[in-house]
Amino acid sequence: MAESKISINGLALSYYSFNQGVNSIKDIFTSFSFSKPFEKHEVLHDVSFEIMPGEVVGILGKNGVGKSTLLKAVAGMIKPSSGKITVRGKVAPILAIGAGIEMELSGYENIKLLVSLMGLPMGKIKEIMPKVVSFSELSDEELNRPVKTYSTGMISRLSFSIGVAQDPDILIIDEVLAVGDMGFQQKCMNRINEIKEGGSTILFVSHNIDDVKKICSKAALLANGTLQEYGEINKVSNTYTNTFH
Amino acid sequence: MINSESYNLLLNLAKRNIKLKYKNSILGFFWSFLTPLVYLIIFYFVFSTAFASVENYALYVLTGLVYWQFFSNTTNQVIQSFISNAGIIKTINVPVISFPFSALISELGNLVLTFVPFLALMYYLGYSPGLAFFAIIPVTVLLAILSLGLSLFLGTLNVYLRDISILWNTLNPALFYLTPIAYTLDLVPEKFHWILKLNPLWYFFKGVRASLYSNTWPSIETWGYMVLISFLVFAIGWFTFKKLQPGIISNV
Repeated sequence: MAESKISINGLALSYYSFNQGVNSIKDIFTSFSFSKPFEKHEVLHDVSFEIMPGEVVGILGKNGVGKSTLLKAVAGMIKPSSGKITVRGKVAPILAIGAGIEMELSGYENIKLLVSLMGLPMGKIKEIMPKVVSFSELSDEELNRPVKTYSTGMISRLSFSIGVAQDPDILIIDEVLAVGDMGFQQKCMNRINEIKEGGSTILFVSHNIDDVKKICSKAALLANGTLQEYGEINKVSNTYTNTFH
Repeated sequence: MINSESYNLLLNLAKRNIKLKYKNSILGFFWSFLTPLVYLIIFYFVFSTAFASVENYALYVLTGLVYWQFFSNTTNQVIQSFISNAGIIKTINVPVISFPFSALISELGNLVLTFVPFLALMYYLGYSPGLAFFAIIPVTVLLAILSLGLSLFLGTLNVYLRDISILWNTLNPALFYLTPIAYTLDLVPEKFHWILKLNPLWYFFKGVRASLYSNTWPSIETWGYMVLISFLVFAIGWFTFKKLQPGIISNV
């Protein structure tokens, strides 16, 4: 049996907020405890599943259930509070529309900045730039303008184009396809399929269940702070849609 | 730890900081040169007669102002660096420490670039550089370590309690007047000297003045204090950051 690409074992994820909601000076004196300055909030617990190379897995669940938190943990941005995540390969996360885009800078300047934020060496920029430019379908004149003059759709074009410019080992997409016109959405789906056929592993979050069904082979359903079901896409998506009836 | 990718990241972030700072302003980068100049003119007209006993008062004030601007800008930028990059911290997998470091790099870059015209001005005001000029390099490095350490400490706490940066901005002018920038120690009654010497910055400005004003090497004692203070403060800042780092992503 081949080695899994992502292996999640007994994972628990928490975030820490500053002590007991210090909202006023009075709180500091009355309820502040120096021994335990942080309050722990558990988002997910006991999550275990394996993702094999080339699998495309949809993450389903209601708002606030911890989908994004799970993706951030896979991307290495959050450390597990217990359990283990093993990721074999380089992760390219697209976690938000316009992530890291600087409004005052031009499109070209943003491409360079984001390429370095994604941890790629500057040498790659020459190779990536034409791909980003042609995929985004933004004109030379537009790319020379500050991004603050762009429409939301244009920003998402730029952002998504940079995210998928390379064929990543593991691609993470968190609800970023909602904006952009129909033509661009279709183009994004085609590109995701292309990446999928290239053998990359993909984690995909979307509230558009048709999109999820179209590209995913498997799905994980999160509910009540844990993994409720993991398996074949149609089965899991049925369970998910049934929770709303 | 520093490979070509992280070097590239820090450099690009620093470039972005500088670009953003002067975006939409006509004079742009020249403000880094003009701001201390304006202060210099004000102090010169207000104090030069009162402080006539200070030899070459204009040069004395200028050297202090250039380094005060560096200290003040660096601490402000580094303290804000987590909050102002919240969007990136929450959505892109970038080591959080890149933001304070890139803020420091852009301020150092700013200092180096303004140094050339300032040096010309200092020369005009009567500074004749000798070998002791080169002492400014280690002095600058030590002041940078102090500024980074201090603002790493304050900046990390500021993620959780936003009062910190407000408090720092409020205390900033007080610290300015507590540091001998517009006046010399001789002008202060002897019984108050101990208060001024409690201010860690005092030793760093002594180092700056030795090199750029009196053209002498800082004393062994001054070097000792600068090294000790900067490394101690940096250790405290680093430890605080390491301790509180896991919560930064959900609290910025």
